[in-house]
Formats: sequence, C-alpha cells, structure tokens
Amino acid sequence: MTFMNPLLLIGALGIALPILAHLLNRHKFKQTDWAAMQFLNRSVRVRSRHLRLRDLLLLLVRCLAIGCLVFALARPATNNTNGSWFPGENRTGVIIALDASYSMSHSNGSATRFERAIELVGNISEHSQSGDPVSLVLLGGEHRVVLRNVAYDRARFIEALEELEASPESLDLDSVPKQLQTLAEDMDAIQKEVYIVSDMQTQDWGKVSAELHGGLKELGEHLSVFVVPVSGGDENLAVTGLDLVSGELRKGSVARYRTTVRNCGSSLASNIDVQCRVEGVQIDRKTIPVIAAGASETVSLFVPFYDAGPTRITAEIAGDALSTDNVRRAVAVVRDRVSVLCLDGSSGDAGRLVRAALMARADGGEDKDYVVRTVQWPSFPTQDLEQADVVILADVPEITADQARQLSRFVRMGNGLVWFAGEQIKIDSWNKLSGMGPNKLLPASLRSVVDTSDSQGTGKPLDPSLPDHAVCRPLQSLPEDLLNETRLLKRIAVEPANSSFSLLNLAGSHSPVLLEHSLGRGHVFMFTTSAQASWNNMALTPVFPMLMQQIVTYLAGREFEPPRVVGDPLSLSYVDQPDATDAVFDTPSDQTIIVPVRKHRNQYVALLDKSREAGFYVARVSVQSPGMPVAVNVETRESNVSCLAAAEIKESLKGTGITVSATEADLAAAIETARTARSSWRFFMLTGLALLIFESLLADRMLGRSRGAQSKTDPASQQAEVV
Amino acid sequence: MSEHLPNTNYLEPEMLQKLDDLELIAREAVEGLRSGSHCSTLRGFSTEFAHHRQYSPGDAIRDLDWRLYGRTDRYYTKLYEAETNFDCHLLLDSSASMTYASSRVSKLEYAKYLAASLAYMVLKQRDSVGLSVFDSKVRAYSPPRSSMGIILEIDRLLRQTHAASKSSIAQQLYDTAILMKRRSMVILISDLFADTEDILRGLDHLRFAGHNVIVFHMLDPYELEFPFKGAWRFEGLEEEEPLTTQPERIREGYLKSFNSYLDNLRAGCIASNVDYTLVDTSVPLDAVLGEFMDRRASAFAGALAGARQ
Repeated sequence: MTFMNPLLLIGALGIALPILAHLLNRHKFKQTDWAAMQFLNRSVRVRSRHLRLRDLLLLLVRCLAIGCLVFALARPATNNTNGSWFPGENRTGVIIALDASYSMSHSNGSATRFERAIELVGNISEHSQSGDPVSLVLLGGEHRVVLRNVAYDRARFIEALEELEASPESLDLDSVPKQLQTLAEDMDAIQKEVYIVSDMQTQDWGKVSAELHGGLKELGEHLSVFVVPVSGGDENLAVTGLDLVSGELRKGSVARYRTTVRNCGSSLASNIDVQCRVEGVQIDRKTIPVIAAGASETVSLFVPFYDAGPTRITAEIAGDALSTDNVRRAVAVVRDRVSVLCLDGSSGDAGRLVRAALMARADGGEDKDYVVRTVQWPSFPTQDLEQADVVILADVPEITADQARQLSRFVRMGNGLVWFAGEQIKIDSWNKLSGMGPNKLLPASLRSVVDTSDSQGTGKPLDPSLPDHAVCRPLQSLPEDLLNETRLLKRIAVEPANSSFSLLNLAGSHSPVLLEHSLGRGHVFMFTTSAQASWNNMALTPVFPMLMQQIVTYLAGREFEPPRVVGDPLSLSYVDQPDATDAVFDTPSDQTIIVPVRKHRNQYVALLDKSREAGFYVARVSVQSPGMPVAVNVETRESNVSCLAAAEIKESLKGTGITVSATEADLAAAIETARTARSSWRFFMLTGLALLIFESLLADRMLGRSRGAQSKTDPASQQAEVV
Repeated sequence: MSEHLPNTNYLEPEMLQKLDDLELIAREAVEGLRSGSHCSTLRGFSTEFAHHRQYSPGDAIRDLDWRLYGRTDRYYTKLYEAETNFDCHLLLDSSASMTYASSRVSKLEYAKYLAASLAYMVLKQRDSVGLSVFDSKVRAYSPPRSSMGIILEIDRLLRQTHAASKSSIAQQLYDTAILMKRRSMVILISDLFADTEDILRGLDHLRFAGHNVIVFHMLDPYELEFPFKGAWRFEGLEEEEPLTTQPERIREGYLKSFNSYLDNLRAGCIASNVDYTLVDTSVPLDAVLGEFMDRRASAFAGALAGARQ
C-alpha cells in the first residue's frame, strides 16, 4: 500500500488526543454539593466499572474514527495484484493529448477526423470516475493545455470537449513527449495514463525521429501510454502558393500572380477550379485539367488593380475534403502612381539605360502614372526626395553626410533605394558615409574594383542565389541561354553586412552582384556592378529591364506584402518613436490584440509573438488609424493527410512500450488490463464518518443526552469551576 | 442614609439608594401602637370614616351617627380606619441546604441581603422590625423595635449566622407564632426544602393567628434548571446519602418532581392567603424587591378600592 499524501499520516498523532483526554478524565467524577437531594431519582446510579467500560468503548471508537479520517486524507492506494481483497475502487489520472492540427479537419463525408477524435475522447473519459485527475491538451504548432490536473466531472468535461476545434496550425510532434511529461509531473495520481488521439499522419509518424522515439520511450517507461488512431482517407488538394510574378502594384495596372495547387492524395485529380478574388470579388478563374498524385500544378492569375491602397488577394479551390488549405492569401499595396528618381553620376549612360529599362513596356506605350526622372548627380541637393518612391543612385561618386541622413530617412519611411557601382565611385567616401550611424545605408562595405573577365574577355554570367525572391522570380521564366548572355566584366568587391543577403551572384562563385537589406520600413538594393555597359552587358540584355522593373515593384510595396504562415510573428515597425504606446492587431475572427511598442535595435517595433489564425490580420499603429492587412496562410506541410495503418504505427513505435489501440474494443480491453491502481480513501473516509456518527449515538445513549439539554448552553464547564 | 449606618454588611450603599424609592405597603392592615402609613384592622379613633355598624349595647354613645338616626330612626355606630405601626418579623432559614451556590453567592448569602434590605425598608416607614434566625431551632432572635439601632442589631445577627444543620421549618413557624404577642407581618425567607404539607400547615397557623405572611422562596438557578452533563456525584448538604449518577438521564424526572413541588407550594400559599415570591438567586436583589413591591402596591390598591365602594 502506498500513500499519495504520506506526510498527512503525521495527523495520526491526533489519536493521542482522545487517549490523553481519557487518561486525564479516568475514574474522575465531577462532584458538587447539592441541596435538593429529595428530587433526585436514586434509581439511576453509575458504577465506576460501567463508566470505565463505556469510556474505553468510546475511546476505541474515537481512535478508530480519527485513524480512518487520517488514512483517508493520506489517500492510500493499492495494486490489484497484491491487494485486491482490500476495499477500494479503480482510480487513475488521465492525460489526453488530442491532435488539433488542421489535418484533423479532413472530412470523410459525414464527420471530420477531429469530430471523431472528440467522440473517442468521450469514450475514453467514460472509464474515469468522478474526482480522478484529468488533463487535456490540444496538440498543434504550440500545444494548448485545456484542462490541467482537474478533478474529473463528466458533464463539465463533455462541455469542455464541445468547445474544442481544430487549429490551422501544423503539428510539432517532437515537442509532444516533453509536454506530456510536464503534465504527468504536475498530476497527483496513483497511476497515470496518457492517451494520444491523432490521425497519425504518415509524414509525422511514418519515420519517427530518434529524438521523438527516445522521448516516447521514456514516457512509456513511467506511464501507461495509449495511441488511439483516427483513420481517414488521403485525398486532399492544397493551394500551396500565391506569388506575384510580374507587373506593377499600381492603380490601373495588371499584375500576374502565380498560384500552385498540389495534389496530396494518391489518385489523380482533375478539373480543379481555381478562383482568384480581390477584396472578396472574383476577378479571375482558371481550371487545371489534371494533377497527378503527389504532383503540383501552377496557373497564372491576372489581377487588375482598380483602386490604390492595400488589396487582399486570394486564390482558392473548392469541393475538397480539407477546406483549411484550400485558400492562399496575399496582400498587394497598390499605389496611385510610382515615381522613380535616378541620380546619374556617370556621363549620362547610366541614367539613360536605367530609364530605358524602367520604361520598357510590352505594348511600347507610356503611362502618366509611372514617372522616371533622371537628373545629374550634382543637382541632388535640390531634389525633393519625398516626391519619389524609389531613388536610384547610378555611379554617384560620393554624397555628403546630410545627403546620407536624408537618404536613410527616406528609406526608413518605407521607400526604396537602388545603388549602382561604376567608374566614378569614391570607395573610401562611400564607406565612410554609409557607415555612419547605427544603421548602415548600404548593405555592404566597398573594397576595390575587381576584374571578373575571363581569358577571352567575356566575363562571367549571373547566378540567382535566391530564386524564390520576388526580384529573381521572373528570371526563372527566362531561357537559360538568355540569362547566360549577361556577362560581368568588372565589379566592386564588397564585404556584406550581417543584415544583408545576396540575390544574385557571379556564376561559379559566391561573389555577390546584387545585395539587399532592410532599413526601417524600406529596403536598399546594391549592385556591385555598373548600370552602364562599361562593366557589363547587363543593360543590353532583357535581364536588366526585368530586374529593374521587379525591383521597383518590390520596393514600392510595403513591409507586409510577403505573406506569413500560421505561428509566425507579425511585426509593425515605425520610422520614429510613435505617439501611441500600443499597436493594434485585428485577427481574422475580429478579435483585437493590443501589442506594446518596444525599441528593438534602434527601431520602434510592435511585435505580435504568434499568429494563430489563417486569414487576413489587420495591423494598426493605433486604434483609430487605418489598418494594413497582413496575409497569414497555413503551413502546407500539414496538407499531406495520408495516415498510417495500425500495423504501421506499431512498427513505427516499436520499442517505446506504447500500446496502439486501433478499435474501441482494443482500447477498452487495454484500459481494463492496464488500470491496476485502487484507491481506498473513499472507504476510509466513509468508515471514519460512520464511526463518528456511531460514537455520537453511543455517547448519547450512554450518557443519556437529551435533545433539550443539548440545545441549551453548556453550563457544565462553569459548574466544574464551582466544584 | 448609609452614612448613619457605617458598620452594616448587608446594606450596600447602592442597594440602600435604590430602596429609598420603594415603599413597603402591607396588603392587609395590622395592628399598631403608633400612627404610620398602614391601615389598621381596628376601627377606632381616627378621622378616616370606614363604614356603619348597627349599634349594640356597650358601644360608645359618641360614635352614634345621629344624622342617620334622624333619617332612619335606627342607631348606627360610625366606624373609622386608623393608620398605625406594625411589627414585622423576619424569619431567616439558616439550614445547611441554604449554603448551596452554583455561582459566587449562596442562597443564604442572598437571603441575608434580602432580610437586611427588608428590615431597612420597614424601619424607614417608622415600623418595628425583628429578626429570627433558625434551622432546627431558633439560633438568634431580636424582638421588633422601631428605633434605627435595631438595624445594627439585625446586621450583627446576620453576620454571626452560619449554616449548621437540617431545618424544621414547620416547627419554627409554630414557635414564632407563640412569640408574637399581636398580629404582625411575618416574612419567611427559606428554600423550603422540607415536607410541603408541614410547611403549609405552619403557614396556616400563622394566618389563623391573624398575621400577614410573606414567603420568599430562595432557589438557585441550577436547582431550577438542573443543567448538569457527564458523570456527577451529588453530596447532600443535610446529611443525605450521596448519589453518583448521569444527570442527563434523571434531568427530566427531576424537573417534573421539582416543578410539582413548586406548584403545590404556590397553590397552598394562595389558598392560605400567603404572599409567595420565588427568588432566583441569579436575579439581582433590587430587581426582586422592586418587582415584589410593585406587585404588593397594585394588589393593595385594588383591595382598598373594593373596600371603599
């Protein structure tokens, strides 16, 4: 027999109290003189032997009652195998881990996996008794404890179950054993059982990592662990991408987006209807004829922008068993007009080529809302930067400290800067100026001009180091030989800053040609080669206009353009210290989250630690200010919903000591076998209380107490003083 | 007033202050030698007309009502009420049973305070007061006197009084009746733990002799309620055999027989025209006296009004 609260056994010393009282009062009558002797009934006499027996019996009952109550509070427990004769009832603490990742929302036509899992949890809970400790945790990207070590009450437990729903997160399986171990340590129970109710996705459980296997094994050594699979089909289509490919985010223009649909199932999918909506209005629709099992297909969606401002764009499919991953969202910040100011420090070639690249159109026409102005570098101080969205510095020899500060503020307000190297660049001057202040203007320090031509004098081609970057994405559609035609003869060697990353390198080396870094709410692109044709032939190839237009489109955007994934943090950065101390994030379910603004790396940022819903969040610098929508999508890794069969699960969990219960009958049998702990506290509590009642009745009978006498105030103590 | 009685033990200043406001008025008139505030049963030399009585030989001629004779042609003698002094005999039971106390004050102590208070009140009315302390026989006696010095004598006797043995109340009542030369007020202060019939016979004897009898029945609250619990040994104060018992079991029977005894005693007193007052020693003495005097005043006012109609 073991005790859950062994320290409370110290309370058994309380038995000494009635014994002490008995010893103190032994053979002692209270005595008094009395005048009205003639009225006393002399037939009722007490002999000392009677009193002794009576006192001993009462003493025995009182000691037993105290002993039973102390025992009950110490919560004794036995095991069936060695104490089944002893009165008690089967008791155990139950921890239920319910997979709430969005794959559990997959429906088989009548019910989702999550709904069936809830039903299973209800069945498991039927084996618990009122008062048993119960914990319930929802597994996801971040595990959420719904009930922690609470006394089981069936009605309240079912009520809590009914409020649960699957989250749009993917499952972080590796952290599950640690979470369960923590819950088990918090639980105060004779025996602890853990139930993992999950759809047992092949991608998660098919090949269990060594860390996970070790964690589950350790869990199984100390606890009775059951895996309860919720089976389901593997058919699922998911929209895995919605990316801007080309075009300008400008009012009146059309941008091309690319959406990707993946067939996660094991059979062919056909005639998939993809709809594109802008602000909830369908503007484009494409049909994918066939997607092979496990394959992905992309379609282009053309999005016209009729209004300026942040625009919500969605690509979605319908008629799927799992709706959570059927939508992909993006936000485009559409401007009324785009103005580019090019400061040319060369003899004029650079500015001309940049302008030609930016103004190049498929239809050859010009647009009044797309302005590219080219001025010579010496007139820079007179230029008003606020009118421009993007400033291009092409072969500008040097700038003053004031100009550097002006440019830095310009970028930090959310605008863009493109810097080209060239013959006129004064390296020392730029290194000195761009290195001023805590935030460097350029993403790299300049070193020296390097000749990159080969023995034949043709130079080296470009190699995109981040092909998925919005700037590099159009280059993917170019024929390879066309990209290889771009040759670089010279460049300035640079030392990239920690905050920068390279988008284009020289082929065959890690020498960066195009670097990017963010500064405040804006970005800076840095070409280590020139814009004119003296150092390369880039400006003469189709690569240059594609790159320049994409860079301008990218820089004219805002910080929340890149969509986030559920679980990612959302941030809102400020140019200067804001008046409001809190920023506001509205969730897709219309909840409002207040986030304090903090100073971080010399910038003011409001950071929402985790996005927990899929949809469009709205970030606002204050409650009254207009919002900036942020697209939050689901992690598509979870879209592969195929499940392991029971035999495969057993194989996968082999050696962990975990029981896999494929059917409800298996589960009931396993619970019956494993649940061996018996608690006797209720027996002792009832016995103790019964003894107390018995003692009271016995004392009443022996002492001849009457109800009337008990209702009066007790003067006996006063009388004892008299005596 | 207490400044003139510096050595009294049983007349506390606070108590005397309260008694100044009280007036002891006997329910029935008693004989007296001096004019006082009490009506005498003897119709005689007074200006307060009582009623007429038909003339009989031997009556004083001067008392004839000649006006009435003129109207009725019959002789009637006028009778007058005279205000007179009375003798008050305080009979204090000092038997051993009076020593019982559930709190600090025993019945005997309480009775001593009560006797002293009554004596003082009587003296204040310019009446005579005497004290007789008895148990199985008379232990101390002081004949009635109306001088203030008697209060010191009574106080001395009370201080010397100690409980001794069993009481024989009935016998003492007979003996007291013999000692009293004329009709008086007799105040008996006792716990009356004796045979009820004997006590009532003794009281009747006093009443037959024309005395006005008042009984103060002294009882402790524990004797009235019997609230004991557990195992108790009761030692008799008047040499009864001790009893070890469980009071809870006998409480009901005790209260039944005790209340029956009280009812019998009260009914006997009413039948004998004896003024009976039960004194609970847990009740303050001034409250007991105040209540007693109020009751006496209202009863006497009613009787007097009836007599004048």
